[in-house]
Amino acid sequence: MAAKKRERLDVIKDILQTIRQNREIKPTRLLYASNLSPQMFKEYINELISKNFIKLDIDENEKKTFSLTKKGQDFLQEYKMIENFIENFGL
Amino acid sequence: MDLYSIILENKLTLEALYTLAISLICAVIVIKTDRFFRLSLHQGIRYFRNAFFFYGVAFIARYVFGLLSDLNFEPVYIAQMIFEYFIVMAGFFLFYSLIWKKFESSKQKSFSSLFNVRILIFHLMAILIAVLDYLWGSYDFMFFSQMIIFLIACMIAAMNLGKNYGKHKFPKFYLAAMVLSLGAWALNFLAETFFNWDFSILIGISVINILFFLLFLYGVIRITKTKSNGSKET
Repeated sequence: MAAKKRERLDVIKDILQTIRQNREIKPTRLLYASNLSPQMFKEYINELISKNFIKLDIDENEKKTFSLTKKGQDFLQEYKMIENFIENFGL
Repeated sequence: MDLYSIILENKLTLEALYTLAISLICAVIVIKTDRFFRLSLHQGIRYFRNAFFFYGVAFIARYVFGLLSDLNFEPVYIAQMIFEYFIVMAGFFLFYSLIWKKFESSKQKSFSSLFNVRILIFHLMAILIAVLDYLWGSYDFMFFSQMIIFLIACMIAAMNLGKNYGKHKFPKFYLAAMVLSLGAWALNFLAETFFNWDFSILIGISVINILFFLLFLYGVIRITKTKSNGSKET
């Protein structure tokens, strides 16, 4: 049986959870973990950065890592509540 | 003095309290769901939030419409058309929040939920309904449009209840709210067509309307009080 296609909200939750588990994560590792195409990954990451859910840090060696912001932490905490809301109200 | 006489004597005060109660309930629902939308960018939540924003404005417009009618203010039809436009749009938004996934992708980028091509159709329909009712001198177009969408909403809510049976508690209340709303619109039609706006029927409709909004408020508050680890089943 084919796996259920992930909803947008699930994809965001998965990306944020992966970042939280790692505290800081390199873009390539996050791409692999997210199970998305590079194009889709880029779109999600740009959106998450623009919505201030995650931030991109670049150190002195030009090494890039993603980390969660306070807003991203809040989202993960409230994700279950939002999921419940969507299912209960049939949205 | 019986209850009916007390209500009749305090009609204006009760109308104001009724409007205030519904507007406050709508404001709470809009504020709570707006937070969910801003966190999730979920279009369904957005349309649901819009529905209650429009309901709140519609009931305030309805109150103003009543006041202007009592004062025999000439251009009362403007307030009536504003009320009709907002209440019809509210019904459309609530209905669309149930079916939006059939027309939009959840991965689609976020766009305006008030002014996009699909919602533009609803705006045009709502304006058309308000204008036709004004020209016909009745509320029939509004009543029928709402009876049709709430009848379909009842069917969708019944299917959602079947899908979520035993998993979630609110779908049965959602179905009850849809049935109540359908009943309220049908009663409105009967009151206009056969009972010359009988006051006792209007009281019944007001009670049903309050129950409809309280059910949604109950659902929203119950879910927003759920612990984030999902410890309390909703």
